[in-house]
Amino acid sequence: MRCLKIAAVLAVATAGVMAHGPESAAQPRQELAANSRVIIDYIDPRLQKSQATLDRLRKREVLEELSMFLSPLRLPRLLRVRTKSCGQVNAFYVPAEWAINLCYEYYENLEAIAPQTASPQGYTRDEVIVGGFIDAIFHELGHALFDILNIPVFGREEDAADQLSAFLMLQFGKDVARVTIKGAAFTYLMSKNPRTRTEFADEHGAPAQRFFNYICLAYGGEPAAFQDYVDRGVLPKARADQCPREYALVRRAFAKSLLPHIDVELMKKVQSIQWLRETDGRVTK
Amino acid sequence: MNGIVRLALALALIVPLGAAPLNAQPTFGPSKPGAGADTGKPAPGKVFRPSGSETAPPAAPPTSPPAAPAAAPALDWGNSQVDVAYAEPQDPQFRPIRDRLMRRQVLEQLRVFLSPLRLPRKLLVQTDQCNAERRPYQPGGPVTICYEYIAKVDRIAPRNQPADGLPREMMIAGAFVQAVLHEVAIATFDILEIPVWGRESDAADKLAGFIMVQFGKDVALKVMIGAAWFFDASERQWNESDFASEQSPEAQRFFNYLCIAFGADPASFKFLIDQNLLPVRRAQRCTSEFYALRFAFAKEILPHVDQQLMKRVQSATWLMLDEPK
Repeated sequence: MRCLKIAAVLAVATAGVMAHGPESAAQPRQELAANSRVIIDYIDPRLQKSQATLDRLRKREVLEELSMFLSPLRLPRLLRVRTKSCGQVNAFYVPAEWAINLCYEYYENLEAIAPQTASPQGYTRDEVIVGGFIDAIFHELGHALFDILNIPVFGREEDAADQLSAFLMLQFGKDVARVTIKGAAFTYLMSKNPRTRTEFADEHGAPAQRFFNYICLAYGGEPAAFQDYVDRGVLPKARADQCPREYALVRRAFAKSLLPHIDVELMKKVQSIQWLRETDGRVTK
Repeated sequence: MNGIVRLALALALIVPLGAAPLNAQPTFGPSKPGAGADTGKPAPGKVFRPSGSETAPPAAPPTSPPAAPAAAPALDWGNSQVDVAYAEPQDPQFRPIRDRLMRRQVLEQLRVFLSPLRLPRKLLVQTDQCNAERRPYQPGGPVTICYEYIAKVDRIAPRNQPADGLPREMMIAGAFVQAVLHEVAIATFDILEIPVWGRESDAADKLAGFIMVQFGKDVALKVMIGAAWFFDASERQWNESDFASEQSPEAQRFFNYLCIAFGADPASFKFLIDQNLLPVRRAQRCTSEFYALRFAFAKEILPHVDQQLMKRVQSATWLMLDEPK
């Protein structure tokens, strides 16, 4: 998990707002060991300008905490997760290497597109950087798990990976859900939608479709926390009515295909941890 | 798949009397050698612009007319867990559609088609007036095909095709088979509690498409192309808030069906690439998309299928577009 923001959130979380939160939320390192099958690596950047990005991710122990976050997962093989220079703004899973590549360029781009102050639609800088980066990690984790655990995917795999990402974001209480879902959704608001026939041939859904998929799952899973999206008319009522069922479908898919590979006791412990920090998403001197 | 299965769900049965036999000559055959090279871009507008003069007939041996069709499905094979009904429409304009469907025993044949599927509860499949083109399945409820949808397909399917163009019956049959299998797929996911990753509506299209290519090249050509053609002809523009729909845009569904067809049988559907109907960039992924789909089917659906009955269904004669009566 990348640097997370949320200062206030934490205070609230401690107050027991998080669905599975303990009396006082614990820090990862006190409670969890790394998953020994997750091999992490911060690879030296090719461009000097990314050195600062690497330093910050390393200092925040992003990959170390990701490995702890994944500790409940029983993996039949090693999964590699590395930060590196890719020469493109991206994050991707490489099946031939059982590896997730998180590009410095992707993180740097989030910093570039994140609004300095809250955007007109109410997205904050912290949400975009934190939620956007966590989304990249979770989405690629989705591709990796579908592959490594041989999980059948009937729909578009890109949407399936988005669904897993959103579902995970919704298992840590309202406040984490708000930050991460909003940040993830914002990145799709920024992209251009297909117009010509050929543009619709892409194996990814249109950015707007992905935006609504995130908001819909969030509304389905945490209706109160995302009611404002319905009230403001951002999520049309016709879709909103379907969202509880859409969320239930993802929960069922998770329960049937992923839960058998998860240590439930450890998972509860992971859910009780306070993962996001006040300073996440911000440059700290 | 041994034997040529002639395809199509009883659906095809909705074809009007006296329709030209479908096995006559589809126009969308592979391009003549070299013909694909110069087509820089797809023709504007409808993709399936009939253009027989530019394309050679399909290299695939058109199946001989079903003079002595293989076993036509016997109606008493029907899945006892599937009930069917043709609801009486309130609006009299839909009566001819209902009569046609009943005369052709479309839903009875669907019961037979679904005979291999083991369902733990009853499922009602009905046609009805919905006052909309679609009445989405609700958990525990029936599968409904709306008269309005059938009327729309009838309306869109071109009536004045050149002799060498795609027959309108192909669109009518493909769109109907697609709609029925799509809705039945959603009900199946619910009843069998299938884990569905990805949007349910896309998953239902994938399952429907997968089933449609299990009956040989001939059937696959007619139904897949017919269904895709309908999506193409719908020509709906998608703007901002349209993307909030849980259904995918027709243009995406068009490519998804073509991609399944190409992934299942690259040789027979190579013309899709030669004619620039399926962009190479997407086509390169279709084989692996199809393998993933086949894997999902084998793991999640096949355990609920009676394989003996499935073989019987696969060897029966379906979709006689030119069926008299």
